[in-house]
Amino acid sequence: MSQRDLAAELRAARLTAPAEVRERVRRIAAADETVRPRRFTWRRALVVALPAAAAIAAAVVLTHPSSQPTAVHGEIAPAPQAADRARSTLQKSSGGAGAARLAPLSAPNRVQQVEATLSLRVPSADGVSSAMQRALRIARSYGGYPVYVDAGSQQKRASADLTLKVPRTHLREAMTRLSALGTITAEHLDVQDLTAGINESDRAIARLQRALAGLRAQEQTVAVKRRIAQLTATVARLQRQRAATIRNAHFATVSVHLATPEQVLTHHKVQHGPLHFLGTALMWLGIGAVYVIVLGTPVVLVALLVWLGVRTVRRRREDALLSQP
Amino acid sequence: MRARRRTKSEMTFAQAAEAHLDDVYGYLAWFTGDRAAAEDLAGETFERALRLWHRFDPRRGSARTWLCQVARTVALDHFRSERRRTRREQLAAVPERFEERFAEGLAPDLQAALTVLTAGEREVVALRVVLDLDAPTAASILGISPTNCTTRLNRALKKLQEALDVAA
Repeated sequence: MSQRDLAAELRAARLTAPAEVRERVRRIAAADETVRPRRFTWRRALVVALPAAAAIAAAVVLTHPSSQPTAVHGEIAPAPQAADRARSTLQKSSGGAGAARLAPLSAPNRVQQVEATLSLRVPSADGVSSAMQRALRIARSYGGYPVYVDAGSQQKRASADLTLKVPRTHLREAMTRLSALGTITAEHLDVQDLTAGINESDRAIARLQRALAGLRAQEQTVAVKRRIAQLTATVARLQRQRAATIRNAHFATVSVHLATPEQVLTHHKVQHGPLHFLGTALMWLGIGAVYVIVLGTPVVLVALLVWLGVRTVRRRREDALLSQP
Repeated sequence: MRARRRTKSEMTFAQAAEAHLDDVYGYLAWFTGDRAAAEDLAGETFERALRLWHRFDPRRGSARTWLCQVARTVALDHFRSERRRTRREQLAAVPERFEERFAEGLAPDLQAALTVLTAGEREVVALRVVLDLDAPTAASILGISPTNCTTRLNRALKKLQEALDVAA
C-alpha cells in the first residue's frame, strides 16, 4: 500500500463525536451567554499604566528644581565669575538704582592698582549712545582717557562696552557720576596694594647703590668695571619698573557695560522658552533610555536564556511522554 | 481590534464548538488512542476553551487550530496523569487502549498496524492526514517547525507501511 493510499484510507476513517459528547459540549457552549469576558487584562492595564507613568515622569522632570531658570525674570543676575570674585574682594553690590554703592578706597599715600566694573541698564538704544558719550566725557574731565570702546545696536536693542582709565584720586567721584548714567545691575571693585612691592624695590635699589659706591672706591680693574656695569644696569631696570608701576597705579581701570533692558529679556526668552522644557524632558528621557538599555539588557538576556532552557526541557519531556505507543 | 471584534461576534463560541467538535474529538481519539478518554477530554477541552475564548484572536489562526491547541494541552495533561497513575499501579495501560476499534471503517490489518505508532506519531498523522491540516498549521499546534512536522509525518507513515508489510 502506497503512502497516498494509506493516507486516503486513514482520512476515510474519520471519527464523529458521539451524541452524548455533542450534547455535553452544547451545554457548555450555552453557558457562553452567562460568561462575560474579563474587563481587566494586562494589555489594557499597560495601555493605561504606560502613558500615566510617562506623564508622571514628565511632571517630575518639569517640576524638578534644577530645571527652573536660575535668574528672576526681568532682572539680570551677575555672572558667576563676577560673583565669585566679588566675594573675594573688598566691597560688592549687585542690583539697585542710584549711585554706586561701592566706596573706592582712597589712600593717596599708598600705591594701589584699582579695577572697577559697572553694568548699567539704559532705557533705550539712544540712551546707550548718549550714556557712552557722557561716560567718555566724565573720564576726560578727570584727566582720564578711554582704552577700549565697543558699541553695537540691533533694532531696539543696544549695548556698549567701555574701558576707561581714570585717575585713582578721582575714582570715587567718577564712579558716582558713571553710575548715574543708568540703573546699576552689577558692579565690582578690585583693589590690589602694590606699596609693599615698591618698598622692596626701593630697598633693593639702595642696596645695589651702596654696593656700587663700594666698588667705585676700589681699584678699577677689568672685573670691577664689569661688575659696576652689571649693577648699574640692574639699578636702572629696577628704577624703570618702579616708575612704571607707580605710573600705572595712578590710573584706575573702570569697565562700563551699558545695555538696554530688551536685550536682557530676549536673553531670558532664548534660554527658557517653551522649547527649553521640551529639550529638558527629552534629555531626561534619553538618560532614562540609556539606563534602561544598560541595566535591562543583561536582565533580558538572562530571561531569554531561562526561557530557552525551560522550552528545551519542556520539549524533551513532551517528546519522552509521547514516545510511547 | 475592530475587525477582531466583528469576526468574533460573527462566530460565537457555540458556533465554533458545533463546527469543530468532530475535529477536536477525532484528534483526541487518534492522539490518545482511547475513544472513551477522548470523549472525556473533548468535554474538558471545550470547558477550558470557553474560559479562554476571550483570548482567541482570529488573525492568528482559525478557531479549529485554536481549539486543537487547547485540546493538545488537555491531552498532554491527561498523558502526564496517566503516566503517574501507571507508575503507581505498575500497570501497562497502553495495550488496553487498542482493544476497542480505533476508528470506524479501518481495515483490521491497518487497525493492528496503528498500535506500533507512538502517541507523538499518531498525533501528527491525525493533524496532517485525518484533519487534513497543512504543515504550517499543524506545526503551530505542535510547537515545532513545518519541516520538522513533515519529517515526523513521513516517519510515521513509513513506520505504518512497514508494519502493514510485516502483517501481510
